[in-house]
Amino acid sequence: MSARALTGSRRWLALAGCLVWFAFTLFPLYWAAVTSFKSPIGVVGGATYIPFVDFEPTMTAWYELFSGQRGGFYDTFTASMIVGLSASVAATAIGSMAAYALVRFTFRFRLLSALIFVVVAFGGFLLGRNVMGLGQGIALIYAFIAALALAVISSRFRLPGPELGNKDIVFWFVSQRMFPPIVAAFALYLMYTEVGKLGFKLVDSYIGLTFAYIAFSLPIVIWLMRDFFEALPVEVEEAAMVDNVPTWRIFFGIVLPMSKPGLIATFMITLAFVWNEFLFALFLTNSKWQTLPILVAGQNSQRGDEWWSISAAALVAIIPMMVMAGVLSRLMRSGLLLGAIK
Amino acid sequence: MTRNDPIKHFFIWPALLIVLIISIFPLVYSLTTSFMSMRLVPPTPARFVGFGNYVELLSNPRFWHVAGTTTLIAFLSVGLQYVIGLSVALALNARVPGEGLFRFVFLLPMLVAPVAVALIARQVLNPTMGPLNEFMTFLGFPNLPFLTQTSWALGSIIVVEVWQWTPFVILMLLAGLQTLPEDVYEAAALENASAWQQFRDITFPMLLPVSVAVVFIRLIESYKIIDTVFVMTGGGPGISTETLTLFAYQEGFKKFNLGYTSALSFLFLIVITVIGMVYLAILRPYLEKHK
Repeated sequence: MSARALTGSRRWLALAGCLVWFAFTLFPLYWAAVTSFKSPIGVVGGATYIPFVDFEPTMTAWYELFSGQRGGFYDTFTASMIVGLSASVAATAIGSMAAYALVRFTFRFRLLSALIFVVVAFGGFLLGRNVMGLGQGIALIYAFIAALALAVISSRFRLPGPELGNKDIVFWFVSQRMFPPIVAAFALYLMYTEVGKLGFKLVDSYIGLTFAYIAFSLPIVIWLMRDFFEALPVEVEEAAMVDNVPTWRIFFGIVLPMSKPGLIATFMITLAFVWNEFLFALFLTNSKWQTLPILVAGQNSQRGDEWWSISAAALVAIIPMMVMAGVLSRLMRSGLLLGAIK
Repeated sequence: MTRNDPIKHFFIWPALLIVLIISIFPLVYSLTTSFMSMRLVPPTPARFVGFGNYVELLSNPRFWHVAGTTTLIAFLSVGLQYVIGLSVALALNARVPGEGLFRFVFLLPMLVAPVAVALIARQVLNPTMGPLNEFMTFLGFPNLPFLTQTSWALGSIIVVEVWQWTPFVILMLLAGLQTLPEDVYEAAALENASAWQQFRDITFPMLLPVSVAVVFIRLIESYKIIDTVFVMTGGGPGISTETLTLFAYQEGFKKFNLGYTSALSFLFLIVITVIGMVYLAILRPYLEKHK
């Protein structure tokens, strides 16, 4: 029995509060589920709540969805699955490594190096595009490589100016999420089109979409994992270092297992973000790699307020996530037990 | 407590490179475009206008109105999300009966696509076919204009935001609560600290870093709200529920006024950065104090 467990009337008060929130949470989902079994007349005729009691359920909406009358359902579903899982696994892995580095190691560089990067990237791009007449794609690639190289080389020298550290890198990562997604999505579409002209197809491709999702999930992963890593006791790692365990083994063998609840929570948030993301999918895909939110939104725009089919499509987008949530909340509980033993 | 080891580069560069590659082009492109007058329909050649777009925006009352609406939605909904989320997380962490089921169900809204949420909300709030208005009529209220009158529409959007994103707060705070050391509470229980004292002096301060992070993320994300508003009210009635991103969308992809949209994005970026910095600056002393 944990010292934090509630007793007496408090316990019942907490339960009552949870039940209210439970009803509030579940009602819209229940409503969508019920609506998906209604006939068109049943929807328009006013609110009905319980199948078989106050309306006669039909399978019309589900039949239409699965038979592909409402857009390529199976392809969309598979695409969502593949992109969602691979992007969130990759983002969690890469982001956790970066977060760990930012918590445990010292990074120092001058503001001037960062400025060099920005100026060379901007200047090089404008120079390449407007003066040298290169295509946007080529100009960007050259400018990027030049800027990165110059910034890294310049950080070797002792430059004047303020020094930046780990906190600033974290803030930079997080600030990437501040940019309005509309413009980012549109600009990314332009960039992918330019790269496509060079022979690498990125628009409506697996790599293009997944890469964009990894990049836009990383800031959140880093920000969240950093807090979890900071909460870990550093003594365990120090003991391992005394025993000369290499850093990568400390990370994979000790740190990651210890932060399992955080990792699972972060993975789930990333997956939910990627699975439900709408704008990037809208701009960066057109047929083959279209994801479920596009399909759901399409139900509305193509046929108007056909609530039964919209509900069915929405549920298809929800159910895999529900299964995932069930599995992961199990895992989180086992992680909790591990934490209690420690 | 940081150390130095060459392997750190191997840990950080993959993330750094990916984010740099994806983020630099939108930044370069929109910053250069924001100083130009550029329209796609009808196609007009790009013309350098300096700060023209910015001046035009800042003197446009619609911009200020939209910024105000977005701020209202973001702050109210994030505030509610945090208060409710913290209460629920505390209850779940204290093993309220049925905790396993709650833990699962409370996560669900977060996992639903915002587009789908907004579509479902429109059904529930529908004046003639929706259950909510039928319930209200049953209680003796008139048919309420949930999506067609400004204050009701704003309220509905906020409630939908709270419905969808409180789970995120619950999830993060619960994970944070689980990492708190048990022995502190045992010591507090030995000294007969009341539940309230334990919360005020142990739980809340130790949870503060996670709380700050969660609220920060939610605040930034709330400012970008578009899908929900777009589907639920389309910014209406009039422009009374229009948000910044929706405004950018209207200008950029309805009117294809790219220069104006880019300038708007940069103002947007500045607004969020300022809010974020102020927020972190206000909270930093508290964070340092409890380290």
